[in-house]
Amino acid sequence: MKLIIKNLKKNFDKKEVLKNINFEFEKGKIYGLLGRNGAGKTTLFNCLNEDLPIDDGEFFLKDKEVRKIEAEDIGYVLSTPNVPEFLTGREFLKFFIEINKDRIKDEKTIDEYFDFMKIEKEDRDKLLKDYSHGMKNKMQMLVNIIANPSILLFDEPLTSLDIVVQEEMKQMLKSIKKDHIIIFSTHIMELALDLCDEIVILNKGILEKIDKNDLDNTKFKDKIIEALKEE
Amino acid sequence: MIQTFITSFKLKNTYRVNSIIYSIKGFPIINKILPNSLYKNKALKIFGNIISILWEIVSTFLWKGLYVWLVLGSMTFAYNTNQVNTFLHIFVFSTLIGGILNTYLLNPTKDKYYAIILMNMNANTFALTNYFYSMLKLIIGLMPFTIIFGLLLKVPLLICISMPLFVAMIKIIVIGIFSIPDFKKNKVVKNENLPTKKVWILLAALAILGFGLPYLGIVINQIIYIVLFLISIILGIIALKEIIAFKDYKKIYKVLLTNENVYAVQNANSTQNIRANIAKNIEYDGEITSDKSGFAYFHELFVKRHSKLLTKSVKKQTMVIILIFIILFIVVFINPSMKEGLNSIPLTYLPYFVFIMYILNRGTTITQAMFMNCDHSMLTYRIYRTPKIILGVFKERLKTLITLNLLPSVAIELGLMILLYITGGTNNMLNYLILFVSINAMSIFFSVHYLVMYYLLQPYNINTEVKSSTYPVVQAITYFICYYMINIRMTTFVFGIATIIFSILYSLISLILVYKLAPKTFKIRI
Repeated sequence: MKLIIKNLKKNFDKKEVLKNINFEFEKGKIYGLLGRNGAGKTTLFNCLNEDLPIDDGEFFLKDKEVRKIEAEDIGYVLSTPNVPEFLTGREFLKFFIEINKDRIKDEKTIDEYFDFMKIEKEDRDKLLKDYSHGMKNKMQMLVNIIANPSILLFDEPLTSLDIVVQEEMKQMLKSIKKDHIIIFSTHIMELALDLCDEIVILNKGILEKIDKNDLDNTKFKDKIIEALKEE
Repeated sequence: MIQTFITSFKLKNTYRVNSIIYSIKGFPIINKILPNSLYKNKALKIFGNIISILWEIVSTFLWKGLYVWLVLGSMTFAYNTNQVNTFLHIFVFSTLIGGILNTYLLNPTKDKYYAIILMNMNANTFALTNYFYSMLKLIIGLMPFTIIFGLLLKVPLLICISMPLFVAMIKIIVIGIFSIPDFKKNKVVKNENLPTKKVWILLAALAILGFGLPYLGIVINQIIYIVLFLISIILGIIALKEIIAFKDYKKIYKVLLTNENVYAVQNANSTQNIRANIAKNIEYDGEITSDKSGFAYFHELFVKRHSKLLTKSVKKQTMVIILIFIILFIVVFINPSMKEGLNSIPLTYLPYFVFIMYILNRGTTITQAMFMNCDHSMLTYRIYRTPKIILGVFKERLKTLITLNLLPSVAIELGLMILLYITGGTNNMLNYLILFVSINAMSIFFSVHYLVMYYLLQPYNINTEVKSSTYPVVQAITYFICYYMINIRMTTFVFGIATIIFSILYSLISLILVYKLAPKTFKIRI
């Protein structure tokens, strides 16, 4: 399965934020999306998630046949976790499982999902408003994964997590990548190099893949920075 | 010194003009027409500056005129005491209150915050130049009105002229005799916009002395005023020396100009604050649960966990309505001559109830709670925005909103029907039925209206800031239309039937609109 973007354009007033995006993202890979501040990474995600209308171009899914991306196809994890604070973790999961019943393959019990996300037993029946930032983040990721969307967009989701949780999340993402197209935006170069299979940079409104070829990590890093600096 | 003052004045103008442009750009159609480069448009800036300077001149006089007219002028006639003395009495005590509540120098305003904290301007020069400018503005702005009103009341001219000076001196004394020495000694400076309990007690005592004593026939006379004025001049000069000699305004402002102080009033009304308050209202004891499933389960938990927030005021409203009707019934029994007058309420005052139903409806608060505690997070999940879920949750919410708002409306319609019956009834028995249905129709109309507006114009962004200008405009229009209804006099038969038909049509059309548009419109604003 592929996510194909063709000639995508997005302007804010006269500023062309996304100039002419052409790219194919494949299932089974984690794409690290790098870009300088204000490069348009979040705008690209917002366009793909249809939070923002695009000015031109198209994007679609191609498996055996080409089809439009539906709401159920996308999971979008924001850097600031947003969870309904009046529910407990268990209730939130129950609700999400019920509304996604038709799409969930090999449905597990709620506690199995909690185990998968390493959420402690004593926290499962607490109100989400009493969860820590890291736990809220885990819940946000979990419900997006449970829904089993084809595309997972992660907008700097690990930046504010402690290193233990970061490592847990990295392993979790690696374990689910075979069934999804994962695009992961980050500012942390090491994280991108460690986690992602492909590095894609968004610079001057254009999306381009940076090939690693036979470079070691230091040289590859330099190459990425050079590409980001390019006028 | 003058340069610092000019720079700070320009700074104040700049953000005034930018704020005006920002508000204008908030409107949907205008937003599309006006480019972002508007902020650097020179002609517009000049125009904005002219408006800003005009406002500076108008505001110099406007508030002071209103103060002299409303507080001093009108209150003077409320007592049976000597008018000149009463005028001076109220003036002295309200000046003391004003001196404590607004010193200008230690008022944590945004212009000080921008200039001193953000732009690192020379705090001493900034403080003193702006302070003297404010005092000058105060004296110039107040004097014409104290002279005009004073002479009209036959207050001697010299006293009229002295009054603005007295106001300035009191403000100077508060700073120079109390605030600055207090800061030197204890390193604390109080936010005058958030008075402490002690200050509130002092203010209340001054208000009682100022506005209460005249009721007892006790007021100061001209001699006492002159003595007080002379004392204020002497103390004022001492205080002024202290103010000028003080060189640590930077330190004082660092303590005073915190984000909490500067944005205290704004924060109290900010959506973040409302959100924090609504979040506090989540009730959880482990036993509140639901045996439903899917979005019905989700919604039921929301309602149960916010039951106080949702039902408390509805119950209070219903109790008050019942109480009012019981009083009316008692009045009818005690004084049967009132029957005729009261009979007209259910028969000709139905339009008035549109405004009452508008005031009673909890739609705004409930949709606000729905966003802050629920949709704010849920709308970030794409699956929640699928038509099936959006419309499913909408249906559950509509049922809840209508049910909640029906409680006070049932109390009103039953009250009106009983009132109609015991005050002589009506020739047309249909009026009873029309009263019953039309009040319910109004209640349902408002419930539908608020929820539909919320789903079609969802005004908040991810930071819970209102980003739509259309939403408040629609709210304002709703208010004005309902307010206008107060002036309409129409028989219950005609107005009731019109209300029922309108409510049914409006509800049908808006529900169709929600079903067609909400999956596109109900999302977080970016």
